[in-house]
Amino acid sequence: MKMCGIIFSEMYSDELNSFTHDRNMAAIPFGGRYRLVDFALSNMVNSGITSVGVLAKQHYHSLMTHLGNTQEWDLNRKNGGLQILPPYASESLNQANRGKLDELRNALDFLREDTSPYVVMADAHVICNMDFRPVVQAHVNSGCDITLVATQSKMSNSNTYKSVIQVDGDMRVTSYALDHVPQPGDYCGMSIMVMDRQVLIDTVSEFTARGVYFLERDFIQARFNAGELSINIYPFTDPVLRVNDIESYFSSNMALLDEGISNALFRPDRPIYTRVNDEVPSHYGMDCNISGCIIADGCILEGNAEHSVIGRGVRIAKGATVKNCIIMQGSVIGEGASLENVIVDKWATITGGSQLKGLETAPVIIRKGVTV
Amino acid sequence: MIERKKECISMLLAGGQGSRLYVLTENTAKPAVPFGGKYRIIDFSLSNCVNSGIDTVGILTQYQPLELNDYIGNGQPWDLNRNFGGAHVLPPYTKTTSNQWYKGTANAIYQNIPFIERYQPEYVLILSGDHIYKMDYNKMLQFHKEKGSECTIAVINVSMEDATRMGIMSTDENQAIVDFEEKPAHPKSTQASMGVYIFTWAALKKYLIADEADPNSENDFGKNVIPAFLRDGRPMYAYPFEGYWKDVGTLGSLWDANMDLLDPKDPLDMRNPHSKIYARNYASPSTMIAPTSKVSNSFITEGCRIKGTVENSVIYTGCEVEEGAVVSGTVLMPNTIVRKGSTVSYAIVGEQCVIEENVTIGARPEDCLGEDWGISVVGHKKTIPSGTVIKPKEIV
Repeated sequence: MKMCGIIFSEMYSDELNSFTHDRNMAAIPFGGRYRLVDFALSNMVNSGITSVGVLAKQHYHSLMTHLGNTQEWDLNRKNGGLQILPPYASESLNQANRGKLDELRNALDFLREDTSPYVVMADAHVICNMDFRPVVQAHVNSGCDITLVATQSKMSNSNTYKSVIQVDGDMRVTSYALDHVPQPGDYCGMSIMVMDRQVLIDTVSEFTARGVYFLERDFIQARFNAGELSINIYPFTDPVLRVNDIESYFSSNMALLDEGISNALFRPDRPIYTRVNDEVPSHYGMDCNISGCIIADGCILEGNAEHSVIGRGVRIAKGATVKNCIIMQGSVIGEGASLENVIVDKWATITGGSQLKGLETAPVIIRKGVTV
Repeated sequence: MIERKKECISMLLAGGQGSRLYVLTENTAKPAVPFGGKYRIIDFSLSNCVNSGIDTVGILTQYQPLELNDYIGNGQPWDLNRNFGGAHVLPPYTKTTSNQWYKGTANAIYQNIPFIERYQPEYVLILSGDHIYKMDYNKMLQFHKEKGSECTIAVINVSMEDATRMGIMSTDENQAIVDFEEKPAHPKSTQASMGVYIFTWAALKKYLIADEADPNSENDFGKNVIPAFLRDGRPMYAYPFEGYWKDVGTLGSLWDANMDLLDPKDPLDMRNPHSKIYARNYASPSTMIAPTSKVSNSFITEGCRIKGTVENSVIYTGCEVEEGAVVSGTVLMPNTIVRKGSTVSYAIVGEQCVIEENVTIGARPEDCLGEDWGISVVGHKKTIPSGTVIKPKEIV
């Protein structure tokens, strides 16, 4: 069953503005060696999708560098492959985010050139390991206009989800709410959806022509409420991490320390690909004390680290202590420094003896390249 | 017609069996043996070529080539996927007049004269894929040109004892080679050949053809071709190399070279960003060091799960050390699992092994009588049943 893929790289960029002032959501480092986009992109590749469009609106330099010639994802193809789809400079520059339908206008040529009957759309900020083939199969079997992938809410929580959905026994949607708190048994959308390619092209053309830009609100919800759209839910039962603010970014990184979650995300049969950096294996020093950490290649670890995620090429000097931290690529933690609940962006330097302490719900954030 | 040319191309001899690595080369060629956490031995020569600006490498394979062919692929990990040049795997092939294996190192090059001539090179760099070192071959090429040499051999200073086991060059004050001896009982110098040669192609081609025509020749560079150059008084020079260089042809030297990576002084200069060693990369997640673990003085690659104790060891991609297991002074090759309660000391454990629970492999030197101690070795893809004891020096 042929399908093409679309990835939205900007969702929730504003909520993570400490990391997104010079990169978009998709390019935010995650889990030591990855960028958020790696998950959606690898899922597509592992589902046999060979034609992927990545929608990018601003600050996409970092994303382009990361994707490079897309060799690592096996998307350097003669037919299809990966296309970054920036806006047409004349219209969208400096305009506020007008929604996914607006963004999808930049994908119209990509969608028209493709020949697949189906399109899988995913957001970069939702982390999971998913085979899209059964999702598309379920979409075809359902005969519905659109299929949304969602997780079922097991216990009551007070978090607001982008979409909260109720279904009947055939997984047909009976209620569709946006920015809502789910009750146990409700489904929470994962911003992953399947549509017929031609239907998507027609929808984008028609709605944007009328100045209507929000996919979820203006198309899915409005049409559903009018009784003009049938929606099918594909329930996803493996672990999912949703990164939509600093707190969830922090907890999602830490969730990788859970073996169950890590096993579900990093399956040998469906690897998550990322840019190769040819770093040397990490060196663990004579007197280091590392416990409960996720560690990428290229590090020199001579100090202490506990319950932290350590990116590529990080150096933790003697006597330094890192606890509950995310240290991104190339940063240096100087001798005797002490960090707790801190997120250190790339290439930052924490000079020796510094003391930095944040809260688990409000970590201290050190910006890229800064010396503290 | 004016054709495109390469000034210098490289021919990498990767067909050797490496029989002194025993079980580690049972089903794979020596250059494909894992080294240093994420590399294979051949990565060093290939990366040196690329970092020296040599973008055309013929890789001569013969013994168990499957893994090596697969590993090299289109050469992309080393930036050797080129339109003109790049990495080419060159196995022996059948011809209309004769079918033959590579009889010796010189014959292997002889059989690939048509490959070399496609690039019309001035110079040919001959390498063997079984050494661990970083070297700028371009500097050696400059030396070759400045001296007006036809055959330049890279040499490294070794101890008098090591000299008796190696090819030894005697030179005059200009580094011109005046004598060459293979494994001399009484070495006249300590300049040992590193197995890195640069030849002026026109001269080498002539000698290869003559060597092939000689029915008594073993068609070997060290035994036949280089002595023939010397006999005829051709301009030959020894290029002195300083730095880390190790032949990893034996189990002991392979273990030593891995352990050298733990030296904080980094003698191999692995962390130099301008001469990275490239390797084929398998998408595996960052390593997890569990709260139950204890790790010190070790090299650990991405894709591992460490829950037990790891000290003074080199742990390759995708290994798992379970809670309560102790790995010390050991090389764990890719995707090997050490289960609960097992102890692995001073050992090399091959790829994709499973060390079941409560196994004891090897021992610390301080716990043995001198002559009883040695490295224990487990071959690739072995499962060691619970409770097994593998003694020091034992090879399984």
